[in-house]
Amino acid sequence: MNDLAFAGTDGIIILSAFAIIMLVIGYFSGRGEKNLHHSLSGYYLAGRNLGFIALFFTLYATQYSGNTIVGYAPTAYRTGFSWIQSISFMTIIIGIYLLFAPRLYVIAKKRNFVTPTDWIDHRFKSKAVTLLSIFLMLWGLGNYLLEQLVAIGQAVSGMTGGTIPYQIAVIVFVAVMLAYEWMGGMKAVAFTDVMQGIVLMIGIIVFLIGGLYLVGGNFSEVTRYVAQMEPAKTAVPPMEVNINWLSMLLLVGLGASIYPHAVQRIYSAQSEKTLKKSFARMAWMPPITTGLVFMVGIIGIMLFPGLDKTGSEQLVGLMANEIAAINPFYYWIMIIFFGGIVAAIISTADSVLLSFSSMLSNDVYGKFINPKATEHKKVMVGKVCGIIAIIFLLWIAWNPPGTLYEIFVLKFELLVQVFPAFVLGLYWKRLSGKAVFWGMLAGAILAGLLTLTGYKTIYGIHGGVIGLGLNFFICIGGSLLAPAVSKSTVLEEDMTAINLKA
Amino acid sequence: MENRTIKEPIRKKWIWIVLAIITLGVVPWYFPDAAAEPYILGFPLWAFISTAFSIIMCGYLSWLCVNEWNIVEDQEEAERAKEDKA
Repeated sequence: MNDLAFAGTDGIIILSAFAIIMLVIGYFSGRGEKNLHHSLSGYYLAGRNLGFIALFFTLYATQYSGNTIVGYAPTAYRTGFSWIQSISFMTIIIGIYLLFAPRLYVIAKKRNFVTPTDWIDHRFKSKAVTLLSIFLMLWGLGNYLLEQLVAIGQAVSGMTGGTIPYQIAVIVFVAVMLAYEWMGGMKAVAFTDVMQGIVLMIGIIVFLIGGLYLVGGNFSEVTRYVAQMEPAKTAVPPMEVNINWLSMLLLVGLGASIYPHAVQRIYSAQSEKTLKKSFARMAWMPPITTGLVFMVGIIGIMLFPGLDKTGSEQLVGLMANEIAAINPFYYWIMIIFFGGIVAAIISTADSVLLSFSSMLSNDVYGKFINPKATEHKKVMVGKVCGIIAIIFLLWIAWNPPGTLYEIFVLKFELLVQVFPAFVLGLYWKRLSGKAVFWGMLAGAILAGLLTLTGYKTIYGIHGGVIGLGLNFFICIGGSLLAPAVSKSTVLEEDMTAINLKA
Repeated sequence: MENRTIKEPIRKKWIWIVLAIITLGVVPWYFPDAAAEPYILGFPLWAFISTAFSIIMCGYLSWLCVNEWNIVEDQEEAERAKEDKA
């Protein structure tokens, strides 16, 4: 996305406007809330009081980042129609939520959970399991945050034609994000997500319309062209691609649903009704988000044939340039759209950062370093450590990795290993902490090793999924051999659905 | 609070069987090579059917959220109604 000819000063104006709007929203969401900074659930979970609109948009804007556009369109360009899988793997996440969110919501509200670790700790009462899952989740979040930081810089410097250099772009937007997050916590994050989500939604639709206009308005023509020039991209996928598709459904479905920031949105819901309604709407979002981005990538094959891997990563920028040249209307819409991409990246980054800080303050500091600290102090520690983490990640981000998708898979490999403990633990009383610990550790090591040694997939199956298989096997086998003996009546009560009603 | 009002998706097997069937429809493993044509709305036949299954999945999951999930809603809404009155 380098050297966009269409923007410069105009891009800077739109970006500044977006930044100011975000700051204003952050300021107002924190104002008058005296308890916000004195309570963990107030700051990190918006007082467990997010209504439908805020909850839906924060789920949406967090799940779909700027990368969904900037990274997925090139993937569609390179792989062709089999990238239609991006609709299904984003949809299946809701199916996985249905496995655990209904019960988790009730328990979390009853027991005042702030982070996903609170549940793991409550369920297994094992320091080893708690520490290992904190490590895996922080690793996943850190990587995810890093990816967003890299993307912010690329998007902004691309949009302003290099007028704002990469480093300055990152620093300015990270500062804006830190400022509104500091002022309003989750409430600010969710309210800015409303604005960021709307811009992203409209942007994608206009971008597709512009792309269709450039190719003469007929998508069938595009497909015919692709079939003629690169028949592999429209052909029925070979078996290995299908296996990979299924593996992707598992990896993304299981991984994305237990992202700490995703779990915290379950905790933040005002009521079960609000949560249900938000998920029900979210289930319809993949076709109009990743589905449309997929079409953009396919149109790109006709507009810019023959790009190599590095070249195709610039696809969205290249297309935006062409679309902006159509007429002044499209010109301005494209600038707003690019601002929207930046906003979408920020909206994901802010949620990840908030979740990262909450785990540092509630889990690391609050459980292991200073359990007696006041909530106000824990919140402060989280805020400050979050800033330190950002500075550290920025330092890494100055050398951005090649393509976005590679790191996207990497973060799931480890994070997904928390899944058995998290979900199996909700329903299976015999599941023991020891089995969970060894399963998680073995799964993470196997997944990490496979990835590091270049076996990212075997016969199309992701290393993370193979590790997860081993993990499940150890969890279930170990618990059958030496079942957990639960003495906790509290836990017993939580795990019996009939008692779920408070 | 009688028990029969509680609906929890994990406890109904059919929910997961239907989801598995839809998923098997989404992944295009069952097409012969000839299914690249004809084009429907610009999509190769296999991609069109796979997308149709994806959209069925969206509808199904959305429907499940609203209709097969009810644990504390009645209680919460009753409490809220009381608070609103007070």
